[in-house]
Amino acid sequence: MLSLLILIPLACLLLISFLPLKGKRVAFAVVMALSFFQIYAVFSPTIMANRLLPGLASAFNFTLAVDSLSRIMLLCIGIVIFIALLAAGPFVKEEDKRFYFSGLMILELMGLNGVVMVRDIFSMYVFWEVAAAASFVLIALEKKRDPLEGAFKYMIFSSVATVFVLSAIAIILLISGSTSFTAIRVALLVTPHSNLIILAVGVFLAGLFMKAGVMPFHGYLPDAYASAPAPVSILLAGVVTKTLGVYTAMRIVIDIFGFSASLKSILLCIGLISAIFGALAAMGQKDFKRLLAYSSISQVGYIFLGFGCGTPLGIAAAIFHIFNHTVFKSLLFVNAAAVEDRLGTLDMGRMSGLASRMPITGTTSVLASLSLSGVPPLAGFWSKLFIILALWQSGLYGVAVTAVLASLLTLAYMLLLQRRVFFGTPEKDLSGVVEAGFNLTLPAVILAILIVGVGLLFPYIVHTVIFPVVSF
Amino acid sequence: MTNLFLPLLIFGPLLAGCLVVLVPQRVRFFKEVLVLAVTVADLALCLRLFPEEMTLFYPWGSYGIDFSLRLYRFSAFILAAAGGFAFLIALYSCVFMFAKEKGRLFFALFLFSLSLVNGAVLSDNLIVLLFFWEGLLLTVFGLIAIGGKTAFKTAVKALVIVGVADLCMMIGIALVGHLSGTFAISKIQLSLGGLGSLAFVLMMIGAISKAGSMPFHTWIPDASIDAPLPFMAFLPAALEKLLGIYLLARICLDLFKLVPESGLSLALMIIGSVTILLAVMMALIQKNYKRLLSYHAISQVGYMILGIGTAVPIGIVGGLFHMINHAMYKSCLFLTSGAVERQSGTTDLERLGGLAGKMPVTFLCFFIAAAAISGVPPFNGFFSKELIYDGALERGLVFYLAAILGSFLTAASFLKLGHAAYLGPKSEATQKAKEAPVFMLIPMIVIAAGCVYFGLQRSFPIGQLVQPAIENHLEGQDFSFLLPNKNLVAVTAIMLLMALVNHILGAKMKGSGLKAVDYIHDAPVLSGIYEKAERRCFDPYEWGRAFMKGLSFLLWRLDRGIDWVYNAGLPGCAQALSNTLSRWHSGSYVTYLGWSLGGLLVLVIFLMSTRSF
Repeated sequence: MLSLLILIPLACLLLISFLPLKGKRVAFAVVMALSFFQIYAVFSPTIMANRLLPGLASAFNFTLAVDSLSRIMLLCIGIVIFIALLAAGPFVKEEDKRFYFSGLMILELMGLNGVVMVRDIFSMYVFWEVAAAASFVLIALEKKRDPLEGAFKYMIFSSVATVFVLSAIAIILLISGSTSFTAIRVALLVTPHSNLIILAVGVFLAGLFMKAGVMPFHGYLPDAYASAPAPVSILLAGVVTKTLGVYTAMRIVIDIFGFSASLKSILLCIGLISAIFGALAAMGQKDFKRLLAYSSISQVGYIFLGFGCGTPLGIAAAIFHIFNHTVFKSLLFVNAAAVEDRLGTLDMGRMSGLASRMPITGTTSVLASLSLSGVPPLAGFWSKLFIILALWQSGLYGVAVTAVLASLLTLAYMLLLQRRVFFGTPEKDLSGVVEAGFNLTLPAVILAILIVGVGLLFPYIVHTVIFPVVSF
Repeated sequence: MTNLFLPLLIFGPLLAGCLVVLVPQRVRFFKEVLVLAVTVADLALCLRLFPEEMTLFYPWGSYGIDFSLRLYRFSAFILAAAGGFAFLIALYSCVFMFAKEKGRLFFALFLFSLSLVNGAVLSDNLIVLLFFWEGLLLTVFGLIAIGGKTAFKTAVKALVIVGVADLCMMIGIALVGHLSGTFAISKIQLSLGGLGSLAFVLMMIGAISKAGSMPFHTWIPDASIDAPLPFMAFLPAALEKLLGIYLLARICLDLFKLVPESGLSLALMIIGSVTILLAVMMALIQKNYKRLLSYHAISQVGYMILGIGTAVPIGIVGGLFHMINHAMYKSCLFLTSGAVERQSGTTDLERLGGLAGKMPVTFLCFFIAAAAISGVPPFNGFFSKELIYDGALERGLVFYLAAILGSFLTAASFLKLGHAAYLGPKSEATQKAKEAPVFMLIPMIVIAAGCVYFGLQRSFPIGQLVQPAIENHLEGQDFSFLLPNKNLVAVTAIMLLMALVNHILGAKMKGSGLKAVDYIHDAPVLSGIYEKAERRCFDPYEWGRAFMKGLSFLLWRLDRGIDWVYNAGLPGCAQALSNTLSRWHSGSYVTYLGWSLGGLLVLVIFLMSTRSF
C-alpha cells in the first residue's frame, strides 16, 4: 500500500497533464489534496502496514518499506508541500505558471516519497535524481537572472554529487552483486576491507554531504535558497536538502555501512564545523534569506552531530531535530516570503520595526527564532538538549561544550535578525506596509502552533514518537 | 532597694526616647517636659542608689554572654555624674534653637545616649558592655547628622573613626574572653604577657579613642562646627570622657594589673603626653570658639591618660579626678560658646569681642571654667593637675615637662580666647547681644559653682567619689587632704605668670588679643607643620579615604575591563570571523567546487588512514 504514496501522485500528474483546461484550474487544489493525503497516510495504519495491493494493482508492487525514520520524513514532506503550496499563492499568479508549478511539485513529491521508502540503492538513486531535477526547474521557474544563477549552481553541484554517488554505487555493486541494502550490507561485512571499498565509501559520503549542504560542501546552498522564489525556498529548505542529503546519509550509514569509529569521527567533525562556521557566517549576512540559508547549514551540522554519536539517543535526537528544523525553518521562510511580498525586498538594511505593522509575521518569527535557538519550552530546545546529552553520554565533552557555545552564536544571529527586521521603530518608507495576506499568515500560524504544541506536549511525544524510533 | 532599678536606669530613658519620637509634634513642649522629667528621675535614682552595691544577673545566651549588671562605688559615681550632666544639658537644650523637626530627633537621641551610657557603665559582662558601647556609635552619628547639610559627612567620619576603634575593642574583648575563659568583668584577672598585652592594647585603643585621644580624634573638631552645640557639651565633652576613662581605669586596674615598670605603662604615658602637646598646639591657632574648645577637649584627655598610665596611686587618683573635673569645666565652656552663638550669631573669634559687658553671667562662668582648665588655684583643675604632675614626675622628668608645657599653652590659648571673645572692643555682631535666657544660664552657673566647690572642698570629690572607686589600688594612701608638693606648686605658679606676661606682650605687639600667640604659628618649622595640619595631611581618616578612592578606581577599571571583554572583545572576534567567511564566499561556484573536492580528498585520505570505514 505504500506504493500508493507514489502511484497516486503519478496518477494525478498524468490526469492534470492530459486534461489541460480543467487541469489548469484545479492544479493547486489537486496538490493540496495530495499533501493532505500524505499526512493522513502517515498516521493511517492500513497504508503504513504495507500490505500488498490486491488484484490488478499487484503489478505495481515495489519493494517499499517504512520504519519510524521514513515515517517522520514522510510527515515532514507532507507538511512542507502543503505549506509551500499555500505560500505560493501570491508569488505564482498566472494560471499557466500555477499549472507548471503544481506539476513540478507533484514530481518533487513523488521523488521524495520514493527516496524515503525504497530499500535498494539503485531505486534510491533514481528517485533522488527525479527530486533533484524537479527542484532545478522549480528554482528557475521565474526565468530571472538571480534564480537562474542559483539554479545553475545547484545543478552543477548536484551533478557532481550525482557523479560521486554513481561511481560509489558502481564500485559497491562490483562487490555485492545486488542492489538491496541488506545484501550490500552482508557483502561488505564479508569482504575484507580493501582500499577500493574505502574509496567508494568516502566518495559516496562526499556526494551525500554535497546534497545535504554541510561545510565544506555547501557552496551552492546560500545562492540557491536566496535566489529561489519564495515557495521554492520553503520547499528546498524545509525538505529537499534534508531528504536528499541527510536522510540518505542516515539510511546509508545505518543500513549499509554501519557505525564505525572513523565514520563517527567524520560525521562529528563535519557536524561541528558546519554548526560553528554556519552560525558565524550567518551573523554577517544582510539578506534575509541568505541568513536563513546559513542557518540551515548550521542546523544540519547539529543534526550530524547528534547522528554522529551513534547511540540510540543521538539518532533519535537527530531525527527529532530534522522534524523540528523542517517546521521552524519553513516558518522562517514563510515569514521571509511575507516580508518579500509586502516590501518587495529582502535587504535587512532597509527594514526595521516590522513587528508593529505585520504582527502575525513578527510573532511567529519570534517563535521560530526561539525554537531555533533552543529556548525552552519550545520544540527546538528539546531536540538540541537531546543532541547535547547524547554527545555528553558518549564521552565527547569538548564537542558538547562547543555545541552549546555554537548555540549561543545561533541565538546571537537570530536576535540580530529579529532586531534588524522586526523590532525597533518602523522606517519611514515602510509606512504603507500591512500584514501579509491569508496565504502567508495561515501557514505561519499553523507552523507556530506546531512548534509550541510539540514543545509543550513533549513528554507525550517522547514516549509515542521518539523512543519507538530508537528501537531499531 | 531592689536591683530591678538597675535595668530601669537603662530602659527608662530608652522608652522615653521612643515616646519623644512617636508623640506628634502638635503636643507642644511635650518633648521638653518629658526629657526634663526623665533626666531628673534618672539623676534622683542614681543619687539614691549611690551608696549601695547591687548586682543583677540574667543568664542569656551560651558562650558566657549573660545580662549582668553591677552597681558599685565606681559605676555609681559615673552614673551620678552622667545623670547630672544629662539633666543640666537637657535644661540648656530646651531653649536651644533646633532646625524644624530636628529638635525631636535630638531629644530622642539624647535619651538613647543616656540609656546606652548607663548600660555601658553598669554592665558587668564584656559582651553587654560592647553592645552598649557600640550603640553609642549610632547615636553619635545621628546627633551629628541632624546638624545641617555638611553635617552628614562629618557624621560619617565620626562613625568610621570611632567604629574602627570599636572594632579593635571588639577583637580585644574576644581575646580577653578567650584568655580568661569568661566574659564577666568582675571575675577577670589577667596578666600582661604575650597575648595578654595584645588584648590590653586593643581594649585600650577602644577606651581612649572613645574618650577622644589621638589618633582617633579628628572627627571632634569637625563635629564641633557641624553638630548642634548641646551634643558637643553632652557627649564629647562629658559623657564620652567619663565612659572612656572609666573603661581605661577598669582595664588598667581590674582586668589587667598595670605595673609602673612595664612597657605598656610607658606607652600609655607617651600617648598621653603626645596628645596633650599636639592637641594644644592645634588649639592655639584656632580662630573659631568651638573648634578651639574641641581641641582642648582632646588635649585634656592626654592628662587623664597620662595620669592613669603612671600606674602609681597618686597619678591614678589624679587622672580620675581630672576626668570629672574636665567633664565639668569643658561642658561649661561649650555651654558658654552656645550662649554666645545664640546671642551674637557667630562663633568666629575675629567677629566677636566685648561680650563681657553684654553677657556678664556668661562671662563669669567662662572665666571660672577657663581658670579651672588652665590649672589656676583654687579651682578644681589646679588640684587634679598637681596630682598628675606628681605622678608624672615620679615616673620621669620628660613627662612632667610635657604636662607643664601643655598647661602653659592651655593657659595662653584661653587668655587669647577670653580676650578675643569677651574683652576688647565690641564688634558689629556683638553690638546687639543680650544675656542668654535663664534656662541656658542655670546649667552654666551650676557647673561653674561645682568647679569652685570641687576646688575648695577637694576632700569631697577625692575622698567620696574617686578613692572609693579604686580602693583596692591605693596601697593605703589617702589624698583627700593632701597639700600639693610645694616645689610643684611653685613651678605651676611661675608657668601661669609667664603665660599671662606672654599674652599681654603679644597682644600689645600684634594689636589684638586674638593674635597674641601668632608668633608660635609663624615660627619657622612650626608654620610648615601647622599649614600641613590645617590641610588635613595628618588625618588618618583622610589617608583612609584616599586609599579607598584609589582602590575604588582600580576596581572600576577592572569592571570596565570585564565589560570590554563582553561588549567589545568577544563580539569583535565573532564579527571578524564572520567577515572573513563572507569574503571567502565569493559567489564563484568554481571556488565552491574546489572546496567540495578538497573535502572529498580529506575524507578519503582520512578513511584510508584508518584502514576501515
